[in-house]
Amino acid sequence: MAANAIDQTRRMLSLVTYLRERPGARIADVARAFGISEDELISDLDVLPLCGTSFRGGDLLDIDTDGERIWWHNPAALSAEAAAPLRLAADEATALLVAARAVATLPGLREGDREALLRATAKLEAAAGETAGASDRLSVTFESEGGVFAEVDRAISERRRLWVRYYSPARDELTEREVDPIRLFALGHTYMEAWCYRSEARRTFRLDRVAEIRILDEPAAPPELELRDLSEALVQPSADDPEVVVEVGPGGRWVAEYYPHDSAEELPDGGLRITLRTPDPASLRRLALRLGPDGRITEPGDLAQSARRAAVEALAAYEAADGETHGAPHSAPHGEPHDEVHDAPGQGRGQGA
Amino acid sequence: MAIAKAERLMNLALCLLGTRRPLSKRELRGSIEAYLEAGSDDSFNRMFERDKDDLRELGLVIETVENLDGDVGYLARRDSNRLPPVTLDAEEAAALGLAAKVWQQARLAGAASGALQKLRAAGLPEEVDPYEPHSALEPRIPVHEAAFEPLMLACRDRRPVVFEYRKANAARPEARHVEPWALECWRGHWYLAGWDRDRGAERLFRLSRITGKVRSRAGKFTAEVPDVVTVRETVASWAGEIADRSAKLRLRAGAGYPLRAKATSVRELGDGWDELEIPYGHGMDAWLVEFGPDVVVLEPAELRADVVDRLRAVATG
Repeated sequence: MAANAIDQTRRMLSLVTYLRERPGARIADVARAFGISEDELISDLDVLPLCGTSFRGGDLLDIDTDGERIWWHNPAALSAEAAAPLRLAADEATALLVAARAVATLPGLREGDREALLRATAKLEAAAGETAGASDRLSVTFESEGGVFAEVDRAISERRRLWVRYYSPARDELTEREVDPIRLFALGHTYMEAWCYRSEARRTFRLDRVAEIRILDEPAAPPELELRDLSEALVQPSADDPEVVVEVGPGGRWVAEYYPHDSAEELPDGGLRITLRTPDPASLRRLALRLGPDGRITEPGDLAQSARRAAVEALAAYEAADGETHGAPHSAPHGEPHDEVHDAPGQGRGQGA
Repeated sequence: MAIAKAERLMNLALCLLGTRRPLSKRELRGSIEAYLEAGSDDSFNRMFERDKDDLRELGLVIETVENLDGDVGYLARRDSNRLPPVTLDAEEAAALGLAAKVWQQARLAGAASGALQKLRAAGLPEEVDPYEPHSALEPRIPVHEAAFEPLMLACRDRRPVVFEYRKANAARPEARHVEPWALECWRGHWYLAGWDRDRGAERLFRLSRITGKVRSRAGKFTAEVPDVVTVRETVASWAGEIADRSAKLRLRAGAGYPLRAKATSVRELGDGWDELEIPYGHGMDAWLVEFGPDVVVLEPAELRADVVDRLRAVATG
């Protein structure tokens, strides 16, 4: 693939500079320094001997490896000047600077790490010079997510168990659990991956839903687990989960953006028929209520029914109250926002435990 | 088998970096095996132009020089391609190492590790004391939107674009001609700020609402790019984060923890209900309806009416 050829070329140019300074460098060390696998490094080493300032007259780079160390037999094939470290490309400066600035805003970052990052960012900006100019056209903000971050961070580094009171929006309830924290990650929101003793399973907790937290004296002893792959969606419905069908009008299309789904079929009115799976359809009653005039759940029938019942019961409370106060004045319906962006649900849609 | 593209690019880069005088196309073709195998002049020329563009994307400054005879030559001068001296200590190196891992977008992930590799080749320290405590946090920047990459490049190069965009409540997408200024990620979603040419005004777009391809338009920006582009504040206000009003509600005891967490006062009514004062902004009505019969809005009247309207819509389903 072309993108790989670009990345490989970029890497090999740096490798040439790096190897020229370090005769007999170890494969394992070089792979670690470059953040690549040993196999990737070997495949670069297969290409480098085919490269040089000319393929005629022995100008090719004579680089080979005995499987453990890398030897360059004719470093003079490339002058020191030609092998000097290369300036950063605009995309490289942007990618690293935007990421560094974003990470520096992480509320839970240790102060020492933040200071190191800010120093590094300033030096990088200076080294990148004008190629850093376009980096202010991209920015990323991480959320603060309450004050429990420091406790989780400390519990992980001290390998201690945690007690949490955790809010589950699906059931609108708080539950108390003991968990052994495994890692903290930020992906839109900040999450803790942990072994949960209440459910005897690995669970992902959103930190802004932790209502209370305490570090316990017991050491954490989570079972050996393979860490989840953060490049995949946090919510991974299983094929065995029951199916839910939601029909929304144009104003409810956001559902397809917030809920992983099997299919979203366009409807003639500009709406969508969305089919999704969830282990716990009852948890979607909240969605049915939130949608209001913008959509409804059509399957399963008992879920649709329970949303209707909840709405009827809620209305009864208003009618009772109105009876007492002789009716509240009725205003015009809520105007549509005239902005370009949908009024995204303020509470966000992450995975609860 | 055709010669791999990475090998070809690498050879071109080394030739251009290794020379002190401009090399003509003919000379380059004679020095690089893949170009000799290219067959016709046409296919060589196309390949050569693409390769130069690719190397420029990688940061190489390639100069085109015309000699007295009118022949064109190419070279990558050392002084314009060298990384200026940059000295980073082990802590700073570790911090950049963390930052280089955050992108979940192929192009930027590749660029970030490429930047780190260039710094590594320039002597960035590798060994970090493993006993030095570091934050356990792994930040990741998600990019799910297909429109991201073309818009990122258009923002970078200040190129106008056109795309089909579906507004929140619109049945159909419509074409929007935009001068893209900046992209910002908030709560895992990407937004674009730019000049909307048809509306003659600044507009904000959510990338997930762009349907189809983002296409570049010829020509330059017509509107001035502001020094500071604010995205987050605007989006936050639409998401109801900016609370400019206050509501009074009744909430069933034990229910609605997030409402309690936002409340400025909570008073027990003693009959299994509590009374809350809560600041709120845009979108509060839809959120309150989620709590079904556990919430009753007391004030203000318009919020109460909005909630009742929504409940009626669900009740009549």
